[in-house]
Amino acid sequence: MSLPCGTRNYNYAEDMGIVRTKTHWVLLIAFLVILFTAPLYFGNYWLGVFNLIGITLIAAIGLNILVGYCGQLSIGHAGFIAVGAYTAAILTNRLEMPFLVGLIGAGVVSGLIGIIFGLPSVRVKGFYLAITTIAAQFIIIWVINHWSLTGGFVGIKVPYASIGGLVFRSESSQFYLIIIIAALCVFFAKNLARTKVGRAFIAIRDNDLAAEVMGVNLLYYKLLAFFIGCFFAGIAGALLAHWIGFLNAEQFSFTESILYVGMIIIGGLGTSIGPIFGVIFIRILQQLLTMELVPFLESTFTNFPAGFATGVTPMLFGLVIVLFLILEPRGLAHRWALFKSAYRLWPFSY
Amino acid sequence: MNNKRLVIAIIICLALMVAALPLLSACGEPDTEGKTLKIGITTPTTGPAAEKGAPMGHGNLDCIKYVNEELGGVNGYQVEVVWLDNGYDAAKVATIVKRFMNEGCLLYSTSSSAMMAASMEIANRAGFPGIAAFSSPILYRPPQHIYGQMPDYGDDFLVFAEYYMDNIWKGTGKPKMAMHLLANTTGYGARDAATAFAEELGIEIIATEEHSKTTTSEMESLTRVKALNPDVLYISSTPAPTALIVKNAYELGMFPGITIGSGHAGFTKALIDIAGADITEGVYGVFPTVNWGDDVDGMAKMTEYINEYHPNDAGNMDYITTWAQSLIMVEILRVALDNAGYDALAAGDAASWKALEEQGIQKLKNYDVDGLHGPVSYTPGDNRLSKSVRVFQVQGGEITPLTDWIDAPMVAYEDFEWFGN
Repeated sequence: MSLPCGTRNYNYAEDMGIVRTKTHWVLLIAFLVILFTAPLYFGNYWLGVFNLIGITLIAAIGLNILVGYCGQLSIGHAGFIAVGAYTAAILTNRLEMPFLVGLIGAGVVSGLIGIIFGLPSVRVKGFYLAITTIAAQFIIIWVINHWSLTGGFVGIKVPYASIGGLVFRSESSQFYLIIIIAALCVFFAKNLARTKVGRAFIAIRDNDLAAEVMGVNLLYYKLLAFFIGCFFAGIAGALLAHWIGFLNAEQFSFTESILYVGMIIIGGLGTSIGPIFGVIFIRILQQLLTMELVPFLESTFTNFPAGFATGVTPMLFGLVIVLFLILEPRGLAHRWALFKSAYRLWPFSY
Repeated sequence: MNNKRLVIAIIICLALMVAALPLLSACGEPDTEGKTLKIGITTPTTGPAAEKGAPMGHGNLDCIKYVNEELGGVNGYQVEVVWLDNGYDAAKVATIVKRFMNEGCLLYSTSSSAMMAASMEIANRAGFPGIAAFSSPILYRPPQHIYGQMPDYGDDFLVFAEYYMDNIWKGTGKPKMAMHLLANTTGYGARDAATAFAEELGIEIIATEEHSKTTTSEMESLTRVKALNPDVLYISSTPAPTALIVKNAYELGMFPGITIGSGHAGFTKALIDIAGADITEGVYGVFPTVNWGDDVDGMAKMTEYINEYHPNDAGNMDYITTWAQSLIMVEILRVALDNAGYDALAAGDAASWKALEEQGIQKLKNYDVDGLHGPVSYTPGDNRLSKSVRVFQVQGGEITPLTDWIDAPMVAYEDFEWFGN
């Protein structure tokens, strides 16, 4: 870990510490204060956007563990999110189980389905593995559409999330629920990368043959990566289900799966902060272009025919992503690392 | 002395005038200056359903422009539109509806049933009324705060099936029908109606095939269907897949030879443009609006606007659908203003939504939508605002009406055990 100049490790606990300096603590506490008081300054719309960001973040963290750390390319992540969403819906709606049972159940079922579709990873990798995960996306959606338990094409309603007597009805209460779970997921992913499991993942990503020679059990760790990655997707799916309140399979499109891969690439593959940056960047960009720029253009250029500005959104969205990948292929996490280095040396940076 | 009397008289007159001012203002026109009525409209103007979403967005917005600029708004209040493109993206439409609620919109509309399905529970939970142009039974069975502008895809099937049995089928026994359905609510709304009523209508369903909205060939599925010798093929889909299926059926030699019917989501000018006039000649379809050029009150103004602002949409019936949708939303606002007053609607909060729904939507009675589609009324327990469709046929490359308005019956799908299971 890169540390500010003069910060030394005197024991193992310090070496493993995530927050090391007073500046870290101040920034962390300030961030948490701002985050947890957000419902005081933002309306329901922006809280809704933050909730979507939180849910997307949990799924992206899972994908980052699978793709970024373990190097197992998956382009069917929306399918695994769907598994989690429908599991939570079935458990809480049809079987009337508590929200927490649905949440954990969603993670576990999604993880197990992930293991099944991860089995080919033992034999194939790269683009070939990507194709098998695309198959997962289509198979899962087909099953959802044709299984009576899921409501098929009609869809299924999902009740509000509740813990004990506390029902998460308002946008702000859902915000706290989602942000707390997202924070726990970020913390878990950060620590996972530093454990024996995380190092095994990285070894497999860098060179699976070398990892096997060193004694890393490829079957076990690849499938573990699929389980963890899809477990996170399942948790995200469950939260999405309770947040939206109604599910049908069209909400989990292949395009969404591609977008998740884009998010972790833009954020920075194989970094703990990358998914956070990537998710915020993509989701905010989507909102700004659709919700702010297009209405602004429509209201400013009233001489043009109504609806003229909609074509601007996909063009700008694509353009921003392309430019970003050309100018900063290592992702926002790398840009953040450069910024921190420059900040630490300021005003004597070179 | 005289001066003193004059001063007293003036003071009394002034006092009377001041006292009478509120009364005078109450008797006169309401002060509408700068006051607006806000509505939310979302259309899939980009994304996989853009061939329908783009003209539908144009129809919505052109109509509101006409209402504001030529009719002076609703009872003098300008209609303010928050219009957002949802890109046919379920996650995006969820935040869009929250945005509408947050900005104080009084109601919102979607053009596609899929986007309404993705957002309806958020709206239902908040009591925020929504109107879907194209709808399927799942949106309002059981009825809550979501309304269907027009009959749903199940109603399409029922009306077409009845028309087929009464006017086209000349054979003996039960005609054999194959269904080709878009794999979403558009297709399965028709399937639900067939499951519920095909037996009663005397039709044998011999095959139910599915396709995706991005399908590029249906030769394989149609070969399976052809082997079963169907008498009629019913398609419930959007224009591009419908055109592809008709084209593939033509190439396989199935059509002409069998009857092809289409639900209203796929039966537009785009179908003829994509598949070709010669190939689609003779295809039947149902649609819940009039056709371009029909002699109805609203046609001249709508034609003027489409020619001026969106000439590329000329001939597209989806434009009519959403022009009519905007007219209906305007009528809802007018009825709500008459019954509840501006103050009850001004806040754009939960109380305003309730007032609009109870004093606006649920008070609609026989509104003729300038003749552009069937009459609009609210019937308790039935959230379809219009219940009528007409049967059309492609004749000489034109969509030609064959019938007058036919009312589709209300079906309580939730009473069927299989619905949603």
